Amino acid sequence: MLILENIHASYGPIEALKGINIEIKEKEIVCLIGGNGAGKSTTLMTISGINRPKRGRILFEGKEIHNIPPHRIVQIGISQVPEGRRILPKLTVRENLEMGAFTRGKKETERVLPWIYEIFPVLKEREKQAGGTLSGGEQQMLAIARALMAKPKLLLLDEPSLGLAPIIAGKIFKIIREINDKGVTVLLVEQNAKAALKLSHRGYVMETGRIVMEDSAESLLNDPEVRKAYLGE
Amino acid sequence: MFLQQLINGLTLGAVYALIALGYTMVYGILQLINFAHGEVYMLGAYLGIIILGFLTSIGFTAISLPLAIIITLVISMIFCSAYGMTIEKIAYKPLRNAPRLSPLISAIGVSIFLQNFVMLSQGATDRVFPPLLNAEGLTFLNARITYLQIFILIASVLMMVGLHLFIMKTKLGKAMRATAQDRKMASLLGIDIDQVISITFIIGSGLAAAAGVMVAMYYGLVNYFIGYVAGIKAFTAAVLGGIGSIPGAMLGGIILGLMEALGASYISSEYKDAFAFGLLIIILILKPEGLLGRRVGDRS
Repeated sequence: MLILENIHASYGPIEALKGINIEIKEKEIVCLIGGNGAGKSTTLMTISGINRPKRGRILFEGKEIHNIPPHRIVQIGISQVPEGRRILPKLTVRENLEMGAFTRGKKETERVLPWIYEIFPVLKEREKQAGGTLSGGEQQMLAIARALMAKPKLLLLDEPSLGLAPIIAGKIFKIIREINDKGVTVLLVEQNAKAALKLSHRGYVMETGRIVMEDSAESLLNDPEVRKAYLGE
Repeated sequence: MFLQQLINGLTLGAVYALIALGYTMVYGILQLINFAHGEVYMLGAYLGIIILGFLTSIGFTAISLPLAIIITLVISMIFCSAYGMTIEKIAYKPLRNAPRLSPLISAIGVSIFLQNFVMLSQGATDRVFPPLLNAEGLTFLNARITYLQIFILIASVLMMVGLHLFIMKTKLGKAMRATAQDRKMASLLGIDIDQVISITFIIGSGLAAAAGVMVAMYYGLVNYFIGYVAGIKAFTAAVLGGIGSIPGAMLGGIILGLMEALGASYISSEYKDAFAFGLLIIILILKPEGLLGRRVGDRS
C-alpha cells in the first residue's frame, strides 16, 4: 500500500533520514520504534508531504506521492496525528472535527460524525467546548477522531500515548486496534516499544536515520537486542 | 458638541477598523506586518476617483448616486483584492521560509513601489474627488450627521458583520482560524494553506479598498501618500486591539477614531495624531498584547 524507497530527508541542516526503506501492506499495523532523534517523526512528516525527501521515492497505492503538497496527501487517503496532538485550541471540539473533514464534502462529514461519536462518546458530550479545554487523554482522542474524519486509508500516529496515564494510554491502544479492525491501515511511531509491538503486526527499528531491523512484531518482542535496547531489560 | 465629535469619531474609526482588519488578518496567519497594506488603501481611493469620475462623465451618477457609489466600491474592491493577492504571490510567497525580516523588507519595497507607481501615473499633486455629496444630512440634538457619514457607518458595519460571519460560520472561515492557530497542523488536516493565505489577502485588500473609496469621498481629495499615514494609523489600531485579533482590530479602530475626534476638538487639532500614538504607547506599556490580544509565544 505504502512504499518508501531509499528516502533521504533533512530536518533543518541535519540529514535526518539516510536512505530508509519501509513497506506497509493493506490492513496492517506497522510500528516504528527507536530512540529520540532516530528520525521517526521526520519519516511521518515526509510521508505527509510537510518534508520533501532529498532523494528516493514514496509510492502510495502504486502512485508516486513525494512531490505533492500536504493537503493533497490527505485527499488521497493518508492522515496524520502528529506528536503533541496539536488540537486547535480555540476551535470547538466539533469544529476541530469539521476541519478534519476539510477535504470531504459536507454530506460526508454528516455521515462520518455519528460513527466517530460512537467510537468516542466523550467527544459528543464535549462537542461545543473549546479544544484547548480538554484533558490530555481527551485531546488525544480528539486528535485521532479528527484524523479519521478525513476517512483515511492509512493513518499515521506519532506518539499517541505520550504524556498519558497508563490506563488512558491503554484505552488509546485499544481504540487503535478497533480502528484497524474497521479496515484502516496504521503506521505507529511509539516510544513505548512494548505496547506498540504488542499491538502491531510488524515493526521497524530505527537508529540515527537508518532502519536497523525489520521483522514481525512477535520476533522483535523476543529479540534479545531489542529487548535490551528498547524494552528495558 | 460631544455628540458631534462622537459621530465624526465613529465615522473615522469605522474606516480605521476596516484597514486595521487587513493588518490583523495577515498577521494572524503569516506573522507578517504587511507594510504595503496602506498602499492598497491608497489604490482603492484612486480607483474610487477614477471610477466615480467615469460614472459621472457618462451621466450615471445623475441617475442614481447611491447605486453609482456602490458600483464604485465594488469595482475598486475587486481590483484591490486582485492587487493584494498578486502582491502576496510576488513579494511574500517566495520568502515564506526565509527569516522573518526578509518579507518585512519586501513589504516596504512593495509599498515604495506602489507609491511611486501611483505618483508617476496619476501625478504628484492632490486629486479632488468629484463633489457629489455636499453636506446634506440630518440634524438632531444640535449634531449633524451627513448622509455620507450614515453611508460609511452602515457600509462598514455590514462589512464587519459579514466578515465575522464568514470567519465564524463558513468552512473557509474556520480553515482561516485553524491556519492562524497552527499552520502546520492545518496543512496536515488537508487545508490548502496557499489558498487560505490568498483569501486572507483578498479579503483584507478588499476592505482596505472600501475604506479608501469612503475616505476619499469623505475628505474629497486623495494623493499618492495618503496610504502611509492611514496605514500607520490602522496599524496602530490593530496593535491597540491586539494584533491577530479580528474583534480587536474593530475595537482598536473605533477607539482610535474617537480619540482623534475628541482630542482634536477638546484639546488641540494640531495634536490629534499625538493622541492616537500617545494612546498606543500607554496601552503598550500597560497591556502589551493589546486590548483583546493574547500573550502568545514566538512561533517559528
